[in-house]
Amino acid sequence: MITIPYLTAVSTYFSYGLLFAFGQLRDYSRRIFDWWSTNNLHGYAPICLAHEDFYIRRLYHRIQDCFGRPISSAPDAWVDVVERFSNDNNKTLKRTTKSTRCLNLGSYNYLGFGSYDEYCTPLVIDSLKKFSPSTCSSRVDAGTTSVHAELEECVAKYVGKPAAIVTGMGYATNSAIIPVLIGKGGLIISDSLNHTSIVNGARGSGATIRVFQHNSKAILMLLHFPPPAHLERVLKEQIAEGQPRTHRPWKKIMVVVEGIYSMEGEICQLPEIVSICKKYKAYVYLDEAHSIGAIGKTGRGVCELLGVDTADVDIMMGTFTKSFGSCGGYIAGSKDLIQYLKYHCPAHLYATSISTPSAQQIISAITVILGEDGSNRGAQKLARIRENSNFFRAELQKMGFEVLGDNDSPVMPIMLYNPAKIPAFSRECLRENVAVVVVGFPATPLLLARARICISASHSREDLIKALQVISKAGDLTGIKYFPAAPKKQEEVKDTIKLD
Amino acid sequence: MYVRALPTTDVNRNTEWFTYPGVWTTYILILFFSWLLVLSVFHCSPGMAWTIVHLAHFAVTYHSFHWKKGTPFGDDQGIYNRLTWWEQIDNGKQLTRNRKFLTVVPIVLYLIASHTTDYQHPMLFLNTLAVFVMVVAKFPHMHKVRIFGINGDQ
Repeated sequence: MITIPYLTAVSTYFSYGLLFAFGQLRDYSRRIFDWWSTNNLHGYAPICLAHEDFYIRRLYHRIQDCFGRPISSAPDAWVDVVERFSNDNNKTLKRTTKSTRCLNLGSYNYLGFGSYDEYCTPLVIDSLKKFSPSTCSSRVDAGTTSVHAELEECVAKYVGKPAAIVTGMGYATNSAIIPVLIGKGGLIISDSLNHTSIVNGARGSGATIRVFQHNSKAILMLLHFPPPAHLERVLKEQIAEGQPRTHRPWKKIMVVVEGIYSMEGEICQLPEIVSICKKYKAYVYLDEAHSIGAIGKTGRGVCELLGVDTADVDIMMGTFTKSFGSCGGYIAGSKDLIQYLKYHCPAHLYATSISTPSAQQIISAITVILGEDGSNRGAQKLARIRENSNFFRAELQKMGFEVLGDNDSPVMPIMLYNPAKIPAFSRECLRENVAVVVVGFPATPLLLARARICISASHSREDLIKALQVISKAGDLTGIKYFPAAPKKQEEVKDTIKLD
Repeated sequence: MYVRALPTTDVNRNTEWFTYPGVWTTYILILFFSWLLVLSVFHCSPGMAWTIVHLAHFAVTYHSFHWKKGTPFGDDQGIYNRLTWWEQIDNGKQLTRNRKFLTVVPIVLYLIASHTTDYQHPMLFLNTLAVFVMVVAKFPHMHKVRIFGINGDQ
């Protein structure tokens, strides 16, 4: 739920219009130039259509140095960012051998498992020596080790479902499993802000896709509607109409939502969505990529936070890249569902299984989180990430920034809007040794470019205070404090004179 | 003064930006400021300036709304490669508020241009031709129609 100053909206459209106009002019002059020179295609068709990479060539390449920065150390609270330079106005970037130590506000290192951990790393190194980095086989051939079996049990127990299946890549978990679960004649109702992996999986399945409006809590409080109104309306309409053209009843209806939306930092309204789906007999697919391990009292994700029984959510999906410091993804569900997936899912049958040391890292991370290694580091990490996120968000909002996201969510996007502020904010922060991630069109809507901050449990209070100072300075320079700053109450009390 | 940006259900990133607040105002302001620019650069009469703005608006919007097909980025894997921008907005639904606004703007520009030039030739002829082509291109019946195969697919 985003509040934009009207003047900013108008100036943002104007800026993009200007950028597109200049891009088109340059394209035309390039085409006139190339008319005279010979082309070296030798009869082959060009690799991409001229208009398809217009955005990349004319807008993205100009600010390319803000994206894809290589790092040369583990993504801990502080990270070494490799310096790059360009001789042709950012069309190509060359790496140097120097790197700067920057405060890392961009990695999804929610619980601090992204670097050396005193319990996990020795176990992972042992597993590396015993099993080797890759299993060199798919799960059904020779790629299932005892660690894989232990991992699937461990994940199922942690998430609260009877069984789980683990794949080697988080993105592929969505794009390979959704086509197996639902096909032609089925209906997928997906939230408008869902991740590209879900969109690709849904498109690849052949089912009909309908999108429902993402209702955040703020909109609902404003509109006094019973939540989520749009989802219920879409479900009613689609069930009444049936399949397109034949109007036969749908074979299967699946509603796909995410736990925390990574671009907004908002938590979905799971209890309401689950009750609506029960009423209309639709399946619920919950993607917990950013919420597993990061929210909830014991880190079990959005179900624990919102008090939803895991038996009500039919398919729970998650990734290990964010909170567990590893790679890969999982699907947890009933025993029949997982058995079916093991026979049919191409990510299980043909793709190489998850690397064994990575699997060991996940098992050790879950052990630490649950406190089964004998210390209370897991509970400390969970408490620290909650404290850090709430402190950081409150301070940013006090300074006058527009920060999205609910309380307790470790992802906080700061709105930038104008296309020129995207590189300005990013470069200014890097100059002060703070590494942030900025996102623009087409990953976000055109108007709503943002800088996304991810807080980690390994950030100390001093790190956060330094980050706040740097962001405040960069924010003043780029003019992104769209809201009035909260007045400093302490100083007012000091200035008053005590009357006896 | 703040506005609320409600999330849309349009999956096409190429046209979704048109549903956010502030677009109509920006469009009208760009036209007004380009009229001022033309007046100051060419030192012509106001009517001539409006004619120039109208014809330039025709050229730019015809090219970008009704000629260019597809999207300027490759993320959607080319599913809109056969549709012009006009055919993509609002998911192909006809006669929505956005489409009605975009049809009215060239007509209003035409009326202003012909009034301020006192309906003289040759400006009147050029303006009328421009507005005729613009409005016919926006009819609901012209959705996905390619006359004589002009701008059709290979």
